[in-house]
Amino acid sequence: MEKLTQYVLTALICSVALGQFVQVITRYVLQVPLMGLEESIMFPTIWLYILGAVNASRENTHIRANVLEIFLKTERQHTILAIVGELISLAIGLWLLTWAWEFTTYSWRVWKESPTLYIPTFWADVALVVGLALMMAYTASHLLAHVRSLKSGSAQ
Amino acid sequence: ADFKMSHVRPQGATIDVELNAFSDTVKEATGGDVNIKIFPASALGDYTAVQERVSVGAVEMATQPAATAADRKMQIASFPYLAPNWEAARKIYGPEGVLHDTMADLFAKQGITMLAAYPVYFGGISLNTDPVHPGDPSPNGIKVRVPGIKSFQLTGEALGYIPSPIPFSEAFTAIQTGVVDGVIGSGAEGYYASFRDVTKTYIPANTHFEVWFMIVNTEAFESLDAEDQEALKAAAIDFETQRWTVAEEDQAKWEQRLADELGANVVELSDDELAAMAGKVREVVWPEVLEDVGQEWGQSILDQAQN
Amino acid sequence: MTEIALLAIAALVLTLSLGVPLPWCFGAALAVMYFIGDVTMKGMVLWGVQQLGNPVLLAIPLFVLAGTIMSESGIAAALLRFVNVFIGHVRGGLGVVAAVSCAIIGAISGSGLTGVSAIGPLLIPEMAERGYPREYATALVANSSILGLLIPPSVTMILYGWVTDTSILACFLATLLPGLLIMFNFSVVNLWMSRRFNLVLDEKPSISELSVNAARRGVHAFPALLMPVIILGGIYGGIVTPTEAAAISVIYAVPVGFVIYRGLRWDNFLLAGKEAATSVGAIMIMILFSMILGQMFVYESIPQQLVSSIFGVTENKVVLLILINILLFLIGMVVNDATAILLVAPLLLPLMQALDVSPIQFAAIMGVNTAMGGVTPPYASILYLGARVGKVKVTKVIPPAMILILIGYVPVVFLTSFWPDLSLYLPRLFGY
Ligand code: NA
Ligand code: NA
Repeated sequence: MEKLTQYVLTALICSVALGQFVQVITRYVLQVPLMGLEESIMFPTIWLYILGAVNASRENTHIRANVLEIFLKTERQHTILAIVGELISLAIGLWLLTWAWEFTTYSWRVWKESPTLYIPTFWADVALVVGLALMMAYTASHLLAHVRSLKSGSAQ
Repeated sequence: ADFKMSHVRPQGATIDVELNAFSDTVKEATGGDVNIKIFPASALGDYTAVQERVSVGAVEMATQPAATAADRKMQIASFPYLAPNWEAARKIYGPEGVLHDTMADLFAKQGITMLAAYPVYFGGISLNTDPVHPGDPSPNGIKVRVPGIKSFQLTGEALGYIPSPIPFSEAFTAIQTGVVDGVIGSGAEGYYASFRDVTKTYIPANTHFEVWFMIVNTEAFESLDAEDQEALKAAAIDFETQRWTVAEEDQAKWEQRLADELGANVVELSDDELAAMAGKVREVVWPEVLEDVGQEWGQSILDQAQN
Repeated sequence: MTEIALLAIAALVLTLSLGVPLPWCFGAALAVMYFIGDVTMKGMVLWGVQQLGNPVLLAIPLFVLAGTIMSESGIAAALLRFVNVFIGHVRGGLGVVAAVSCAIIGAISGSGLTGVSAIGPLLIPEMAERGYPREYATALVANSSILGLLIPPSVTMILYGWVTDTSILACFLATLLPGLLIMFNFSVVNLWMSRRFNLVLDEKPSISELSVNAARRGVHAFPALLMPVIILGGIYGGIVTPTEAAAISVIYAVPVGFVIYRGLRWDNFLLAGKEAATSVGAIMIMILFSMILGQMFVYESIPQQLVSSIFGVTENKVVLLILINILLFLIGMVVNDATAILLVAPLLLPLMQALDVSPIQFAAIMGVNTAMGGVTPPYASILYLGARVGKVKVTKVIPPAMILILIGYVPVVFLTSFWPDLSLYLPRLFGY
């Protein structure tokens, strides 16, 4: 999973870098117009952002500010706080997921197209609902892990 | 009802003043039933996003260009060199004109009611450099920013420029540093609003006829009682009629301001030169865009427009 | 309606302090607006996703990747040796090397973390060996590392420019002088502090030794020093847009890292790609929801109401600027730079404009404050990373870090607020 993640994310970020680079070459060096590259780059870009965020959920490295954590002394208290945090994340994330789903069905219905190459924007739009679903799956698994560690901790 | 109305120009611009007056008129005509709050400067998103939001009813109203993402047929509204002059433009885009009706039908398919067409100006080319041969559509090596719309990119190329689809948010800086030397896709008033400090030359090439549409979410519109609906419609018709009487003068005024206030060189093009540019674009660009919007459908509208 | 906005922000702060990841904290604020404030969510996700598609934002992952590649590539060692030629033999010189090298790295990377991750592993042990207290060395490198956000290019300035519709180039220039001033302050504070340390110094080199070393190490450092020239020269020379410059810096860094400095290998290249994508993904998903929250505020005209209710209390510019700096300091304590910009810039910009503070100066005010947030506890991501790199306890790093912040940083924060020319001089020079 780790290797796959590395390949996918690196490929995505390099493809957008290359796309932008080609843009400069055609405009500045070759001085010829190039249509449609800009809008094509948008697709790997959105997937890059969303899958990057999914990986942050997988690695549990989303930005957080553990202000309260400083005041907690025992391991058990920390675990309980983590459980509360994950529960809130899950509740809010699932609510947001329903709106992402609504957006996806809208995008499917309207079937918008990019301005010059007419690529259906659905293929970028769908990233969000996929990404949020995966993020919630990882959040749930973190939650389970915390609950398990709480149980094993109290059993000792 | 409380409606939000988006437009793309800054607070205090002509359209902003006119829409605020419109809002007052509507409020009075509906006895305070319909309150329209104006959101200038694309505060609710750029026009493509806003059109979608009007379509789903998240924003009730807007006055702006037509976005073509959901229906490429809408490109017909900004077809380059369709109208040769103001008289023709009024016939094509004005009340009962073929594009007026066509666009109303296309909007209806998106759950949007078109209340009015708002003629803005004939488009031109703004350069931060001296023109090479402004009346001659052969290659001139000047790089220009074009909006990410196919017909503009093709038109730019056909007129001899090197089009570059830089996003609007980066456009000003790109011109200032010299990444590109100018812009295509707007007109004198638009350049004055957004590219004031980087307009050395203005070429009134009449690239396209810019027309905006006052639109309202159909469901929101129909939620009003019959009287209020009529009042809103009537106010919109007044708004449009009023604009048609001043639009041409307004365009001349903005071209003058570019010359007087910014010291820009406003190029004078002869009728022959304009005809040559129009001819080339019709020959090169039209077939491609027609293919995109549907050959038969598009041609029938162009035929009606040109007769 | 201001009450509902306050309630939404309260929900944000509450979830934040419970340790909920930031995207969901913004989600909590959205939920308050939706369920309690009755503001529609219809079409909001659509709008947010459309915002994410803006190519301007794409500069962020690319600058972050370029920075990550550079710190993996071994370029930092070349830079350090080069800077060290000139000042290494002076008492306290190694500390100055830290500040200056971080500033140079800052001209390559858009992030505040690159300095500490690239320079820290080399310089902190070296400084400790030469007699600097380890926690002091760590604090100095971490504090200098935030110069990455003030010397262009800068992720926070891209975000600010994007969210407030201000020229990104102007924003880049706005924080440059404050950044250099901070570098200077750190150097001076360091020289003064160094008098109390028992330091092992290099022998003072002769002029000829110095020039030979400078030339030899200069050649080795040249490809690294060329990178800011390419990035900034490309942007300000009218060849590329900031986003394209970011792409070019990646394209340039890859062969330089693989072939010239050879620190880059296939495995850490893949790791760099993943890490850049992950940290950017975490920012972007947060941006998505924070943009929607901002849009809800616009719907309800919150920024305008905020201005009028603040002006109801006082219209005194000095008082308000001081209050805003205190507010930004407090926000910087608990959230990271990107969040602070996204949350505060659109809300306060109308107020600043009413106070006649230009959006470009406000960029610098936001820039120096949010950069400082990276080293102010309790949430001090850069300081914590520094502590990990320097292998010292966080609690030990905080006291020397506080000294550097108070003497070196805070004065510049106030100068930036009350001396507009500091931030506006360079942008004006470039015609903004
Ligand atoms: Na930087
Ligand atoms: Na902080």
